[in-house]
Amino acid sequence: MGLAIAFIFCIILGRLFYVQVVWGKELTQKATDQWNREIPVIASRGVISDRNGEILAGNKTSYSVFLRPNAVENAEYTATVLSGLFELDPQVVLEKIKSGKVSEITLARQVSKESVEKLVPYDLPGVYYSRDNTRQYTYNEALCQVLGFTANDGTGLSGVEKYYNEILSGTNGEIMYSTDIVGIETEKSVVIYSEAKDGDELRLTIDIDIQLAVEEALKRTYVSSNAKAASCVVLNPQNFEILAMANFPSYDLNNVPRDDKDTLNAQSRNSVVCDIYEPGSTFKVVTAAANIEEYLKGNKKAFSNSYIFNSSRTRTVDGTKIKCWSDHSNGKHSNQTLAEALNNSCNPCFTDMALSLGTETFYNYLTSFGFGNVTGLDFNGEALGMLVPQSLVRDCDLARIGFGQTVAVTGIQLACAVAASVNGGYYYLPRLLKSVITSGGKAESNKPVVLNRPISSEASSILASMLEGVVSEGSGSKAYIEGYRVGGKTGTAQKYENGHVAVGKYVSSFCGFFPADNPQYLALIIVDEPEGVYYGSTVAAPVAKEIFSDIIGIKNIQPYA
Amino acid sequence: MKFHKRVKASATNKSAPAAVKPEKLFASAGLAGKKLTKAGDIPLLICVFVMACFGCLMIYSASSYTAEVLYNDSLYFVKKQLLGVGLGTAAMVGMCFLPYRKLMKFRYAAIIIAAILLCLVFVPVIGITNYGATRWIGFGGITLQPSEIAKYAFALFAAAYFAKNHEKVKTVKGILPVLGVGLGFCGLIIIEPNMSITMCVGLLMLSLIFLSGTNLKTFLIILIPFAVAIPVLIILEPYRLQRLSAFIDPWASPKDEGYQLIQSLYALGNGGMFGTGLFNSTQKYRFLPFAESDFILAIMGEELGFFGLAIFFLCCGFIVYRGFKIARRCRNRFGYLLAMGFTLVYGIQVVINALVVSGAIPPTGLPLPLISSGNTSLIITMASVGVLFNISRNN
Repeated sequence: MGLAIAFIFCIILGRLFYVQVVWGKELTQKATDQWNREIPVIASRGVISDRNGEILAGNKTSYSVFLRPNAVENAEYTATVLSGLFELDPQVVLEKIKSGKVSEITLARQVSKESVEKLVPYDLPGVYYSRDNTRQYTYNEALCQVLGFTANDGTGLSGVEKYYNEILSGTNGEIMYSTDIVGIETEKSVVIYSEAKDGDELRLTIDIDIQLAVEEALKRTYVSSNAKAASCVVLNPQNFEILAMANFPSYDLNNVPRDDKDTLNAQSRNSVVCDIYEPGSTFKVVTAAANIEEYLKGNKKAFSNSYIFNSSRTRTVDGTKIKCWSDHSNGKHSNQTLAEALNNSCNPCFTDMALSLGTETFYNYLTSFGFGNVTGLDFNGEALGMLVPQSLVRDCDLARIGFGQTVAVTGIQLACAVAASVNGGYYYLPRLLKSVITSGGKAESNKPVVLNRPISSEASSILASMLEGVVSEGSGSKAYIEGYRVGGKTGTAQKYENGHVAVGKYVSSFCGFFPADNPQYLALIIVDEPEGVYYGSTVAAPVAKEIFSDIIGIKNIQPYA
Repeated sequence: MKFHKRVKASATNKSAPAAVKPEKLFASAGLAGKKLTKAGDIPLLICVFVMACFGCLMIYSASSYTAEVLYNDSLYFVKKQLLGVGLGTAAMVGMCFLPYRKLMKFRYAAIIIAAILLCLVFVPVIGITNYGATRWIGFGGITLQPSEIAKYAFALFAAAYFAKNHEKVKTVKGILPVLGVGLGFCGLIIIEPNMSITMCVGLLMLSLIFLSGTNLKTFLIILIPFAVAIPVLIILEPYRLQRLSAFIDPWASPKDEGYQLIQSLYALGNGGMFGTGLFNSTQKYRFLPFAESDFILAIMGEELGFFGLAIFFLCCGFIVYRGFKIARRCRNRFGYLLAMGFTLVYGIQVVINALVVSGAIPPTGLPLPLISSGNTSLIITMASVGVLFNISRNN
């Protein structure tokens, strides 16, 4: 009898030993989920600042208010107090409390500190609050497409906010309470507080002073020419750091038109990076660079700098007639050297160069100047551009590519290509991020990365001085600043709609840089569909002049002796 | 052990003179009752009383939070249980002084009352349905669980019948009255439904038939239909099959059939080796249903740990051991069977409850005797221990 009792006793204890001691840890781990409720401690989102530490996107401390319907004691009273403090419909709040379907409801997000301070003395059971962030942008519209905006929960939705969301967002912490089955805090509740790790500060390559100057100059032209859109990028040719980037139309970052999706999509698009256009004459810089470099290398097919191009207005390629934009009457565009061809922006000369170099050589340059591929800028949604594949390109295509037709580029692609043509021949990786500064104050800087070496420094300096000539005595004269060595190239491209030339629709552009002997600033201005006068030389070049003059003022750059 | 063998031998002896011996003893005891009176098993009484008080403590720990939320009175269940302990102690003491042989006269009354009470469960208004089962009857503020009474009534009846008709136990026909009453009770209890107490009564019946001194052949003839009945009963009610599958993998349906078992395992697992300490259960915050009644063992395991439960089961083992010892020492066939029956009722319940709570057998609703909240079970269990004490005094 005693043995039977002992036997059963052992079976029971054996089972209990297995459940409690062997299996216990795993069971407790599984159960932890049901025993605790968490309230998030929102990490402070990293600040975005310009290259000098000027804050572009900061945070205003706000709060989130949570509700646990099961823990609420007096539903009517709670609903009245909450709706009064946070401007909510008392009926809706009451329904939320009484529905009882969800154990926790986020009642309000991004409410002010003042309103939460008023909530504290009520000490309402079942009502909790925690810190939240409201993004605050110092300059409203400025740099809006580049900076981008965040969702209600703080996640970056566009621009730098999206691209660097992980660095900016940090890691949320939490306050953990032990609760009963319906979420009421237990009398012995252990509160565990795990701290939030704030996001890191992003320091951009942008110079906000230059940015503001660019925005002002560009906006004036955008308004006065009644253009459909206008874009500009300013970069440092010595390392391809983006100093300014602007697009119109734009929007206010502190008042994002979230309800109107179409408007928001149009206004928040960083066109200069994400959209493509036919560049026209500004592209001649690339053709000239290829020709000069090949000539210096001893390629017999390249033209010397003193070679006199055929003065005819037209060239016939593959049976199609290619014309110059000018009528070549009264001795215009006659007996031109390469420098003069650039000054006059004479199309046939560049057709000659492209055809003479041939598809293979010319395409090598197009590729090493970054066309047909993204530049690698740290920004989402960069466009590839359109370049006819080398295997499919016909002579008539090549002839047109030579002066910037039958090819589509992004603003950033063209700016980088021109910068590489005049900076000694270095193609860098363009960057928006200068450094990341962790909460401990430690900075991690982005070093310039050379991606390519399309031309030699000799070819580059020859080209730069030719482009200086374009501004001092050629079509870019409206960008000329007395006492400063500004170089550049204009561009006027007809727009195509459904495969046909769209009458009266042009893209006017200008790509300029200074000082020509050692370029520090390069600006590309693109004005889409200006009304009235449409030449790049008249519409876009003056904007460059204005921008460069402002930079000279901001940086206190002395005129050359 | 020697003594035990002798009693058993006398109970199973085929010869008529040996079978008469207990009756003779019965007569002589009646004549010289005082002479044979001993001190009785005082440690058993103390152990049972302490355990009932310990039950109140555990009920307080397991139910105070739920009671506060549901009834606005953290002592709601404890107050009821304390009343039960008072009444139970009174019943226990009363039974201590009531010569157990007199109970024999109540054998028919006991089963008739039990049967009436079991039937009353199905009378609307009086019967109380909870969680899909009609197991209680209520008059005014008092509720009663007839199946708890039926177990003891049956044990009393079987013991009395076998004592009076010990010469008939060798044949199936001779056992039929016990089988009839037992199966009748089982039938009434199973339609409540209450599978666990049905099992309890069934096991009790088989044990008592075995102990009655029947031969192996007769016992096997009776046993076979039972082996067949169990799977049939399971298949008959689909909810039993669901519970069975939930028992094999409770996490397959964590919110439905598996919930109760998962919560019970969480409580035990959280307790580990030495427990979270008295009153420190987490599962009592309404995660574990029936924490103060059928699943109080899980809360005990959580607060007192494996170590605490081991001590608790040592105490249970002590009660069963003393019960069996009282039975063995009793020279009277009726006293022997009655003591065995009452002790088995207690022991079977403890074992089934422990196996259910630890997930070793499918979950069923069965209280842990002397500990779980519920006065019918508490009072009648304590009363039965009073009877055991009386048997220990008058053997």
